Parts: sequence; C-alpha cells; structure tokens
Amino acid sequence: MEAKVVIANKAGIHARPASMLVQSATKFQSKIKLAAKGKTIDAKSILMIMSLGLVKGTEVVISAEGADADAAVKAIKDLVESKFGEE
Amino acid sequence: MPKVLRGKGVIAGIAIGKIMLVSQNIDGYLAAYQAGDVQAEIEKASDALKAVAEILQGNVKTLKEKDMPEQAGIMEAHRMMAQDPMMEESIMAKVQEGTNAPRAVLAASEESATLFENMDDAYFRERAVDIRDVGRRIAKYILGVKEPELGDEAVILCGNEIEPSVIANIPTEKIQGVILGQGSTTCHAVIIAKARAIATVVGLGEKVAGIADGVSVLLDGETGEIVMEPTDEIIANYQEKLQKQHELKAYYAKLAPLPAETTDGVRVQLAANIGGHTDMDSALSYGCEGVGLFRTEFVFMGREDIPTEEDQYKAYKEAIEKCAGNMCVIRTMDIGGDKPLAYLDIPKEENPFLGWRAIRISLARHELFMPQLKAILRAGVFGKAAIMLPMVISVTEVKQVKELIAQAKLELTHEGKAFADNVPLGIMVETPAAAVLTPVLAKHVDFFSIGTNDLVQYTLAVDRVNHNVSYLYSHFHPAVLRLIQTTIKAARDNGIWSGMCGEMASDPYAAVILMAMGIHELSMSAPSIPRVKEKIRSISSQKAKEVLDAVLELEDSEAVKEYLYKNI
Repeated sequence: MEAKVVIANKAGIHARPASMLVQSATKFQSKIKLAAKGKTIDAKSILMIMSLGLVKGTEVVISAEGADADAAVKAIKDLVESKFGEE
Repeated sequence: MPKVLRGKGVIAGIAIGKIMLVSQNIDGYLAAYQAGDVQAEIEKASDALKAVAEILQGNVKTLKEKDMPEQAGIMEAHRMMAQDPMMEESIMAKVQEGTNAPRAVLAASEESATLFENMDDAYFRERAVDIRDVGRRIAKYILGVKEPELGDEAVILCGNEIEPSVIANIPTEKIQGVILGQGSTTCHAVIIAKARAIATVVGLGEKVAGIADGVSVLLDGETGEIVMEPTDEIIANYQEKLQKQHELKAYYAKLAPLPAETTDGVRVQLAANIGGHTDMDSALSYGCEGVGLFRTEFVFMGREDIPTEEDQYKAYKEAIEKCAGNMCVIRTMDIGGDKPLAYLDIPKEENPFLGWRAIRISLARHELFMPQLKAILRAGVFGKAAIMLPMVISVTEVKQVKELIAQAKLELTHEGKAFADNVPLGIMVETPAAAVLTPVLAKHVDFFSIGTNDLVQYTLAVDRVNHNVSYLYSHFHPAVLRLIQTTIKAARDNGIWSGMCGEMASDPYAAVILMAMGIHELSMSAPSIPRVKEKIRSISSQKAKEVLDAVLELEDSEAVKEYLYKNI
C-alpha cells in the first residue's frame, strides 16, 4: 500500500506536526515508512521525520506493510492533507 | 562543629531548609558514575527512556490542563524523542560497544543533534537544542541528578548556574533560598531572586559541588554564610536574627498601604520591576503602585521557540490585571549577544553591549516584534498598559515603532481582536544620546523611564562587572546626575511623566534627590520599596530641594555620596 502527498502547511513538518505524525503512526501495527528527498525513514521515529526537513511543497511517499497497512496509509495521508490544523 | 561555607551574600535573609540541586553541569556525576556490565547498562538505559517518557507525559498533561497548548506540544515532541526508535537503537549500539549508559545516551543525542545542526532550514537547526535537552534529561535520570520537581516543602535551590526559567517557573513560596556557584550579582537568576526577596548567596565557586542534594542547610543572605546540617543550637543562635527579620517584615507590611509622601505632601509613585506575572503577588505585598518595568525577556527565555502572540498576551494580561488600575509598563524585548536565544540566531559579537540588541533587533525582526506589540495592545484592554522601548538613541526609532504600532492595530482590527487604542508609548533613557536628546524626544513620546544601569555604564565607559574598573561605577557621578536632571526637566517642560527603573531608584539617598528634581515615578525590585518609602516620608520637599542644590555643586561621586549620607 502506497500513497503520495505534498506537504501543504506553511511551516512544514516542525515539532508539532512531526509529533502528530508519530502519534498517528504508532496507533497502527504495520511498519510505516515515509520516503522523501531520496531517503526512506520509519514514520514512528520523530527524530527521523524531523531529520528529513520537510518544508512546504515537499513530496512524500507513504508506504506501509502489515495487517492494518491500508488504514495506516490513509490516516497519515489525511493528516498531512489536513495541514495538521495549521495554516 | 557543622561545616560552614562562605560565599557572597547578595540578598539578605535567613533561610533554613533542604537543598535541591538544579545543577546544569553533570560532568562531576559522569566522572563518579559506576557502570555495571553491558546487560545492566542496557537495562538502565531502557528503564530511563521509559521513566523519562512517563515524566514528560505527565508534564504534557499538566501543561494542557493549564491551557498552554504550545508548550504542551513541545513537551510532547520531547516525549517522543525519549521514545524514539532511532535514538534507542543508537543508544543500545553504543552500550553494546562498552560505553556506559549515561554516556551512550549523551553521545546518541549529540549525534542526532549534530545531524539537525547541519540542516538547511534554521528551524530544524534549532531543534538540536531540544534533542540535547532530552538527552541530558535521560542521562540525568540515570545519574540520579534530580530535575527540580517540587514537593510540599519549600527548598533552597543550589547550582553552579541556575537557568532563569527554572527559578521563574517555581512559585515564590516554594523557594526559601538560592545558592549559586558562579559569582555574578547581575545574572538573571539573581535578578529574579531579588524581585522576590529570596535570600541568596553567590560566588561559592567549586565549593558548590560539595553541597549534596537533600542536605539541610542554614543560609544567611547577608553574611554569605552557609551552615551545613546546622544543629538546633546554631538555629537557636540565628533565632534573634530571624526575629529581627520578622519584625522588619511586619514593619514593612504596615508601611505598604501608606503613600511615598514627604512631610509636606509631595508624592512620588513607587512601582515594581518584575520579570513576569508570578512576581506580582510578592511585589504587591511590599506596596508597589503598579509596574514600572516588566522585563519581557523572561517571556522569551527558557524556551526553544519564539513565544506566540497568544502566550505573550496571556502573560501581559495577568500582570496588567494584578496592577489593579495602576500603570503596567511593559518593556519590549531587551535581548542581545550577551544573552543569546537559540531561535534568535544572534551572531557572536565582540561588544554585545554596543551591538545588535534590544530595539535594534526588534526593528530588524518584525516577526518577533509584531506579535509582542499586538499582545501588549490586546492585553491593554484589561487595565492600564504602556509600551516602553529599550536602547533608543534617536527619534527615528520611535517613529518606526509608531508605524509598526499603527500596523499592529490595523491587523488586530482585521482579525477582529479587541485591543486598547490609547496605550502610551515611552522610551528607556539609558544611552547618553537619548538623555541629551530628551528635549527633542519628549515631543514624540508619552513618558521617559531612566534606566540607570546602562546609562551609568555608557556615560562613564565603565563595565561594572570588570573588577579593575567597577570602583568607577557610580550613579552619583555628576555627569550622570546632570543627564538625569536634563531628562526629568525635559519631561516636565513637555508635560509628560518621567520615571526611573534602574538600580539607582532603589537607593533611598538617590530617591531624595530624584524627587527634588521632579521625577514622577521610581520603579525598583519590590523588596526595596519600603526602605525608599521610609526615607521619602522622613523628609520635607523643601529640605530635599536644598540637598539637591548642594549636591549639584559637588565635583565627584564620592563627595556626593558623603554629603548625602551626612545630611539626610
């Protein structure tokens, strides 16, 4: 399962959105990965997410493997598209 | 005989209580750490990660309950770092290689921090601070260094340096005393302690390492003595001093509701210098009539990102409300290279006091300044607020700020937020340039407040923390007195008010001549208010005028001081 999203909130993935991503990812059993800027990282690691330096406009591929993979990818995709409740 | 340590007493008072270490330096603990085998260290690291995550989770909850969502968000990110799979993996790999648990944690967080520091975006570079902070927290947990978490008993805070935010966030009634290893009497921790009259001893140097957590001590903020594990007998000996302390307190309490008025009815307003709304209750108990200086730096310090307009609005609103109808003068951010902030990116400067600081930063960084202006304007709805600009040297700066205030009002109107339209704008007179220019500046501002700490330093070209020249530092220097007189006169001539918020205002002898010069307000750390008030109430304005005339004839600071001590 895979989906593509573009970071849409003005401030990019700073600490707050990153922690929201991790919060969402850790709810699922599946292994969830984010790929951007030529790197693939564990979506349950706030450090790795932040180390990607995702600013507005960056394209991110979300992928997941496991029993709840579909739901996981959808949840993360929705979260990014909701701009994390920011501008 | 119990052991006695000696430092420099900077804030008088007797404190008896248990030590709480809030040391920022963990090198000593690291050196003394006894590591177990690999398995034991892995368990320690793993336990610490879990425990710290739980503590942070608790902090998140409290912050949410206190309606501080921004800080809660930051703490939540910290919690996740403590539970981060990448961090954990890196720590465990290091332990496997034979590094002990605390060092492995520090090394792993340092690696991640460096990774962040090399990123392009300034925001992410600054996150390195968070990662190191979390790493240190976990290492401290393993080393048994306590975070300042308070029980019911009031404690004596002790450390080589104490971050101002640590003291600022603890309610006054929980702190009996403060002990610092470093010797500065003007560091922010001391300024905060002063505002709350907390007995303080500084300058213990390395001896501070010999003070253990939880040990009982008796601290004398006057003599600088710290008695370790005092016997009942010793405590009894101090009873007399304690008794006097109580009597003085009772006398000051009686003085609190009385006005600062000369025997022939000339009044001066005595206000308080505060670092945050948490200082207000103590300030009010000393009888302050409003706030003459709200140092907003503390709202900016001790955090990892720029405080939002909302955060600032809440902090200002609370202080303004506590002023209960009296003026609350809010000084805009006075930060520079001497007290850098992670998120400000101030380059290292050779001469921070002559560098990019205060209003100069505010005018260059609108994203910092606008939220502050908007927050003050909004908070102004809840009482009498005033905006005060630090480090002004020209009319241009005042004009620029006026434009920004107009813009802030426009934005607030668009956003549909309520704000006060008539918030007075004043300046700190703390550069010789501003003092000389006061007759011109007076046409553009609503008030002056003389900041003597910097004014004396800039006028006399004396750094008061430089031991070789500090003897030259005096607010009684005739050049300083003349600049002050010029300022007060310019205010009077132009129908605006003048005040003082530097240390000079808390000198009762200086207060008398300032009053004679026609100053309207004196603002000081609240515990000084009773002494100043006592002096003013003991003299007539006629006598004060005579003293001032005589003083202005004198040639140097020593002569002025001597004359004052002898004659009033």
